[in-house]
Amino acid sequence: MADLHDLVRDRLRTVLDPETGRDLVAMGMIYAIEVDGGHVRVDMTTTTRGCPLADFLRLGVETALQSLEGVASVDVRLVWEPAWTPDRMEPVRAGA
Amino acid sequence: MLGKALSRWTLAWFASAMAFLLAALAMATFGLAGPGRWSEGWALAAVHLFALGWLCQMMLGSLIQFVPVLTARPLILPRLALPALILCGAGTLSLAGGFLALDGWPTGVLLAAGPVLLGLAFGLAMLMLGGTLVATRAWRTQDGSTVLLALLALPVLWVTGAGMGWAFGGIAWGAALLPDGLSLHVLLGAGFWLTLAAMGVSYRLFPMFLIAPDGSSPWRRAALIAAALALALLLAALGVLLAGGDPLPLAVACGLACAFAAGLYLGEIRRIWQSRRAPAPETNMQWSRAALAFLALAALLVAPALILGGPWAEAAVFVALAGWLSTLTLAQMVKITSFLTWIQVFAPLIGRAPVPMVHDLTDARAAGRSLALWVAGVLVGAAALAAQVPALFDIAALVLLLAALLHGHELIAIRRLRHLSETARPAGLPPMILPPSDRRTDHDIPRPASA
Repeated sequence: MADLHDLVRDRLRTVLDPETGRDLVAMGMIYAIEVDGGHVRVDMTTTTRGCPLADFLRLGVETALQSLEGVASVDVRLVWEPAWTPDRMEPVRAGA
Repeated sequence: MLGKALSRWTLAWFASAMAFLLAALAMATFGLAGPGRWSEGWALAAVHLFALGWLCQMMLGSLIQFVPVLTARPLILPRLALPALILCGAGTLSLAGGFLALDGWPTGVLLAAGPVLLGLAFGLAMLMLGGTLVATRAWRTQDGSTVLLALLALPVLWVTGAGMGWAFGGIAWGAALLPDGLSLHVLLGAGFWLTLAAMGVSYRLFPMFLIAPDGSSPWRRAALIAAALALALLLAALGVLLAGGDPLPLAVACGLACAFAAGLYLGEIRRIWQSRRAPAPETNMQWSRAALAFLALAALLVAPALILGGPWAEAAVFVALAGWLSTLTLAQMVKITSFLTWIQVFAPLIGRAPVPMVHDLTDARAAGRSLALWVAGVLVGAAALAAQVPALFDIAALVLLLAALLHGHELIAIRRLRHLSETARPAGLPPMILPPSDRRTDHDIPRPASA
């Protein structure tokens, strides 16, 4: 059975940034994933601190993870340090 | 509360501004404004419907949305947005009607009332925008301080405008502003208030749209210093004028400082553009390049316009208002409308269901066509003013009117989600212009299409 940490990361790859069409992991917006039993904590950011989508994205991540098997509770925090930069994005794969 | 940083009234500001744009262009199309006729009542009315009704309302509506993005905190006193919009619209209409008194209409009282209503509107806007920027000490950032400098120019713009308007009612200090204060008034409006605000907002938005590194830069700092110097020179020129002196040398120095600041700003935008990660910039950014080219042209024309006046001044002001500021506004309006619509309809579905991308809400080709037509109209209009050919200017106004109508059609299509497939379109749509009335949910839940 896959590690819950990996399952969480895979599920986060289904949540897309609506501007670029890339998932939040590929965008480099997921700063940390911590798994403690069934409790999952995610630190995430947005491309700019005042982003109007910030709360929606945080709730979207929370919702996406809550339906994951093995997850009992989810705590998603928006963090701004360090600030997001385009260098955090994963390179675009050929044909992607 | 979700969406607490979103202004509920941005789309109402946009709709009001579009109505003023169409009215101003219709007046120009019917020959009520044109080369060498800008001191006539109808022409002044059309100019102010364009500058105040269209550009100023678009800028205020945009700032009410973007100051929270710049400062990362909700706007203070957001309930003032609606009264400010109503006062701004009423003040613009009153002023435009009042200018007809110059053509013999019995509307002199409107010329007196217009500045009062506009002063109240600007005051409310300053409370919301300036208050939020000051509360967050936005002067510490280069984008925030650029917007603050723009807001500082707004009351000075109002004083010069109100003074000239009231001069017709016999106000002595206002009469001292005529005719030489006109160039300072135009510089304050187009060069300081609107251009500086556009610069400050674009410092934050362009990197977001282009996926480029954000943050401070020596270019931005130098542009801010040049702009602050230019504003100081303009205030000095205004003082000299009110004291009965010749403001031209200081005004020319101010114009040159403005042009220098514009050059530095263009250098910064070039830097952002070159460091972008977005593989294919969207329509809003593609056509913003035309606006930036018009800014460069306007900057080159500032000094000849101030020194030579006449066709040079008419062409320079037209390139600044219709070319630089309007092209930028129309191009970004597509993106902002798509983004706000997406947030209203699809943001609550993130993580729950598949959602379209923001750019799926726009038909890039349709938006590109209307923007291309707009740019063509600006080029023809500028040529008509430079060559002083009224018939050609009427044609340019007609082209601009058609472009604005096409653009408005595309904006409505975006709001109605017409570019999405039936399956991707939700059952309910948010109201076209007004905010959702259900205060419980704000932007969270789409309303039925009939709402």
